[in-house]
Amino acid sequence: MTAKFDPITLEILWRRLISIVDEADAAVSRTAFSSLLRDAHDYTCMFTDRRGRELVQGTFATPGQSGAMALGIRALVERLPGESCNEGDVFITNDPWALAGHLNDICVFSPIFFKGQLVGFTACVLHHSDIGGRVASDNHDVFEEGLFIPLVKLYERGRLNEAVLEMIRWNVRTPENVTGDIRSQIAANHVCSEQVKKMLEEHNLENLDDLSDEIIARSERSIRSAIAEVSDGLYLAEGVIEQMEGRDDVIVKAAVEVRGSEILVDLAGSSPQVDWGGNVVLNFTYAYVHMAIKSIFDPDLPNNAGSAAPLSLHAPEGTVVNCRFPAAVAARMQIGHFLTEIIYRALADVLPNRVIAGSGGTPATMTVFYGERASSGPWHSVLIRGGGMGAGSARDGAGCFIFPANGANTPVEILESDTPLMIEARELIPDSGGAGQFRGALGRREVIRYPANIENDSPVNLGIQSGRFRRAPEGLFGGKPGRCAQFLVNGIPGNPYTLTRLKPGDVVTLDAAGGGGYGQPESRDWKALEDDLEAGKVTPAGAKKHYGKEVGN
Amino acid sequence: MRLGCDIGGTFTDFVLLDDETGEIYVYKCLTTPGDPSEAVEEGVSALRLKIPNLPAKLEEVIHGTTLVINAIIERKGAKTALLTTAGFRDVLEFGREIRYAPYDIFADFPEPLVPRQHRLEVEERVRADGSILRRMDEGEARRTVRSLGESGIESIAVCLLNSFENPVHELALQEIIQEELPGVSVSISYEVLPQIREYERTSTTVTNAYVKPLVDRYLRRLSDRLACLGFSGRLFIMLSSGGITSVETAAEFPVRIIESGPTAAVIAGEYFSRLFELPEMFCFDMGGTTAKSCLIQNGIAGIVPTFEVGRTKRFMKGSGLTIQVPVIDLMEIGAGGGSIARVSKMGTLQVGPESAGADPGPICYGRGGSLPTVTDADLLLGYLDADYFLGGTMPLNRDAAAAAIEMQIAGPLGVSALQAVWGIHDLVNETMAAAAKTHIAERGGNPRVVTISAFGGAGPVHAYGLARKLGAPRVIVPPNAGVGSALGFFTAPRAFDLVRSHKVALERADFREIEHLYRELEAEGERTLRKAGAAGPILYSRSVDARFIGQGSETLLNVPREDFSTLQTSDLRRSFDETYERLYGRTYPESPVEFVNFRVRASLPVNLLELPRMESPREALGAGESDAVKGERLAYADTDQAFIPFTVYDRYRLRPGMSCPGPAIIEERESTVVIGPDAVAAVDAYGFLWIEFNK
Repeated sequence: MTAKFDPITLEILWRRLISIVDEADAAVSRTAFSSLLRDAHDYTCMFTDRRGRELVQGTFATPGQSGAMALGIRALVERLPGESCNEGDVFITNDPWALAGHLNDICVFSPIFFKGQLVGFTACVLHHSDIGGRVASDNHDVFEEGLFIPLVKLYERGRLNEAVLEMIRWNVRTPENVTGDIRSQIAANHVCSEQVKKMLEEHNLENLDDLSDEIIARSERSIRSAIAEVSDGLYLAEGVIEQMEGRDDVIVKAAVEVRGSEILVDLAGSSPQVDWGGNVVLNFTYAYVHMAIKSIFDPDLPNNAGSAAPLSLHAPEGTVVNCRFPAAVAARMQIGHFLTEIIYRALADVLPNRVIAGSGGTPATMTVFYGERASSGPWHSVLIRGGGMGAGSARDGAGCFIFPANGANTPVEILESDTPLMIEARELIPDSGGAGQFRGALGRREVIRYPANIENDSPVNLGIQSGRFRRAPEGLFGGKPGRCAQFLVNGIPGNPYTLTRLKPGDVVTLDAAGGGGYGQPESRDWKALEDDLEAGKVTPAGAKKHYGKEVGN
Repeated sequence: MRLGCDIGGTFTDFVLLDDETGEIYVYKCLTTPGDPSEAVEEGVSALRLKIPNLPAKLEEVIHGTTLVINAIIERKGAKTALLTTAGFRDVLEFGREIRYAPYDIFADFPEPLVPRQHRLEVEERVRADGSILRRMDEGEARRTVRSLGESGIESIAVCLLNSFENPVHELALQEIIQEELPGVSVSISYEVLPQIREYERTSTTVTNAYVKPLVDRYLRRLSDRLACLGFSGRLFIMLSSGGITSVETAAEFPVRIIESGPTAAVIAGEYFSRLFELPEMFCFDMGGTTAKSCLIQNGIAGIVPTFEVGRTKRFMKGSGLTIQVPVIDLMEIGAGGGSIARVSKMGTLQVGPESAGADPGPICYGRGGSLPTVTDADLLLGYLDADYFLGGTMPLNRDAAAAAIEMQIAGPLGVSALQAVWGIHDLVNETMAAAAKTHIAERGGNPRVVTISAFGGAGPVHAYGLARKLGAPRVIVPPNAGVGSALGFFTAPRAFDLVRSHKVALERADFREIEHLYRELEAEGERTLRKAGAAGPILYSRSVDARFIGQGSETLLNVPREDFSTLQTSDLRRSFDETYERLYGRTYPESPVEFVNFRVRASLPVNLLELPRMESPREALGAGESDAVKGERLAYADTDQAFIPFTVYDRYRLRPGMSCPGPAIIEERESTVVIGPDAVAAVDAYGFLWIEFNK
């Protein structure tokens, strides 16, 4: 096969590739164990050509994983000498520096062979519910954070290496879930490679090379033309991100240069890496810078090596945005998720209609509860949640979401039947959305009780990864910040940066931050404010304080 | 005699069946959105011209409608309020908090059907095991309900936490509402959907409440009007799950009839697959805007527990309102005759999901459409006859279609006009094939053995191409695609699906308690069917949603209809492992399993339908194939990569035993069947076309 593809055939094949990866994706969601996966869709399937260039990615990919994987898989493929791959091999690793920046993301990937030749790689990265170690943000290095799986073969020519699986099983708290989820990753890769082979067969292709060149080149052209419309220039922003009490805030400096159809992002001047888990590996930093660029310039473009090509990133080694081994990285979203809004802020003046104000779901909040029940033994539950989205130039913040990452909540009824916990409230917090011509979305309160009863005779551990307790999501163009996040234990502020022990009867309150506003609050449409008052999203006191409007009762 | 009637957004279709002679009569008229029963009257009156004294002779009228779904999409429902457990009034607004388009920061989400000021809280709390943590304060609840009366609320939804385990507070609230606000409609989650996961249950209950007054009014008018015409039989409504039910039940649970429109085709497909003993059938209904498909295995279409209404962004999963009721497992994609072709930013061809619909429609309709569509391509490929579209009532404009495709597609893409035209047809087939493969594979079917059953205006035009892409061996086309799907009204069982959540580990489950739960569901099913006038024995089938403990989604398991307490844990476990392995390739016998939702389907045996047989050719004046040939026309054959002569047949003159070797085109009023050179169509005793690929 030497001929290039006409644009119609190309589209037909491209669609086929996307449907293949979506089929693999569906295989994971149907067979995965941990609630995190199925509800949060915290996994990403993709495949590459034989050189490791990303070709397609699952439609519902998580931005953090997807960007990081594109870089990561390519680097791994370059590290593997050609002769080290055989048909039937399955590789596994969770090296945070190689992939998505923390140990919980395990990557399973396999070479695809067609007619005896290597034609590509298929990969699935999945956020596992547990990876052992001490579940907290204040670990000092990666060794405390759990099991580190270097790049090893889980299957060699179709034969399972039991020792690897056994090693994993004995180092995690939920061995059934973790090994079950690894199996769904293997199944997804299997679906993917079988379908790729079938497609090559049906269309009489020898390999993916020409197809991959075309797809990547066209995607690259598309995003480049959008970037080229923006005036050249250097745009600067600085993000200040809180750390735990008693430590200096982290600074992330971004110099974003638009030069023709290229974007150069330089993070020089950012703080040195820290001695807790907030450190971000380069891949993960890249992922959220890419999220910002893609969402601004070409949000509907399918992800592949081409859609990422115009972006070059520089982040000095040893900084918090490109940490060195063996830095602690488990809480990397506490800093990494901020990269998207920092890029938005840099480009806000030149692209005011394409960005939004700071969001309460930046960073995502993850809470891990674990303990033991007298009757049924150990239990473990991971919850993720967001906050109010920032407002944009034409509308209020969209609602309560994780941003720029993504993920679903866990239903109260599922949580209560799976664990001894009780949720006493899950509700919007009035007046928590940043005021502005367009209002930030409201934050959310969640009240969780560990009830005192005969079953619950031992304490429960609570680990939190979050932020915005002191520094609120900022507004844009005169919009006010959203309300800060809050962590209370029995009504008294707790320390969210360390492991909390809960006694039976204790009540935890987790308030997620509200989104930042956009534009001057005085310019807010009177009708919009009235609607907010009627819905109780803004109180009369709030209207007076933030919008300067007296409202009768 | 039975009358089936499908009230669509544009047309109302009628099909009348004489059970004694097997004769079928059809009629079509415009839908009357103000009062849809007007169109029903028009149809009945028109049919009466053919069959005197018609309404009195009718035993049953069965109908399906898209009115409910349209009312939700257009936000024309009642002013609705929601009562929730204190602390949870925003559950409806949070949803599941997934951003369905992760890179699109301006993606729109559907507004909740009940605004925040009408979502009120009640102090009460039931624990996950059904025990009561906090009793409801009746006085306070009463005051809350009264306050709703003052704000002009027409309908109230009640959804309290963990109520599927213990409905005592929901039932009490229902009573209070009926006492305090007589005339206000009420829907409680325990009756609408006693199933775990509060957002999905709340959303479903709210949707039910939102359309309840409207559906109630509509059904009343329809019954009255039919009665005035002299109809004294029974009126049934098609459920989204494929059964039919009484007017009373539909009025109580209108959320269950949301998808009743497209369901009839699937039920017809189920019937054909049983009649012809085709173990795997792919029911394929392609209309103007979308293609709806469903895999039918061993005569049974899958039923899924959830779907979405009113997706805000094209057909993107997650952008609509979640409704959790049993619904036929339909796959709907934005691929129809009206799907618009254009050049993407990437410089490739795109077809759909945007559609020109019926208005302005494809360019060739000459009604002001200016964007090329699939129908325009089908015309230029020679598949459609410009002078015999809708039986010749609507001449099509070839030149306008050709010019637009040349200018808007071929030119910008740098391909020939033919490549562009064929590309549009082929790409829409590819889109459908890709979706079909995933749909079939996910359900454990095999696209290489399915028989495609083609319905809808565009279905028979594209079924041959779709079959080639899937590697499917054959396509069947029922006589008159419109009637073909309406036959589903006559083969649908009187059935009702019930579900209740009770989460319990298999190892620790109290089987007697489960038997009790099943009996309660069955008793409820019986009440529902008896209300619909059912006499005779009722069939019950039991199933349960089970999963590995901690797993996210459940696997449906059929349960024998014996006393549950006599079942063995090990047998149930084996059955789970077998089902799981069949669906997902492997199972994990060491991982513990739990039950989540218990399900019962109560149904009556179907009143069997005898399809009318056609006269065979010898009896009918010794006619042969040549009598059915209208002529010849050049059409595009992918196998030859060229325009070649296709024989054109008149479907109404085809008789059993005849065969039409490809390349052939078979025309009827509402549709056209395309058969490539590598296939042949045979006519069976019922007038069905069987298109088989040559070996």
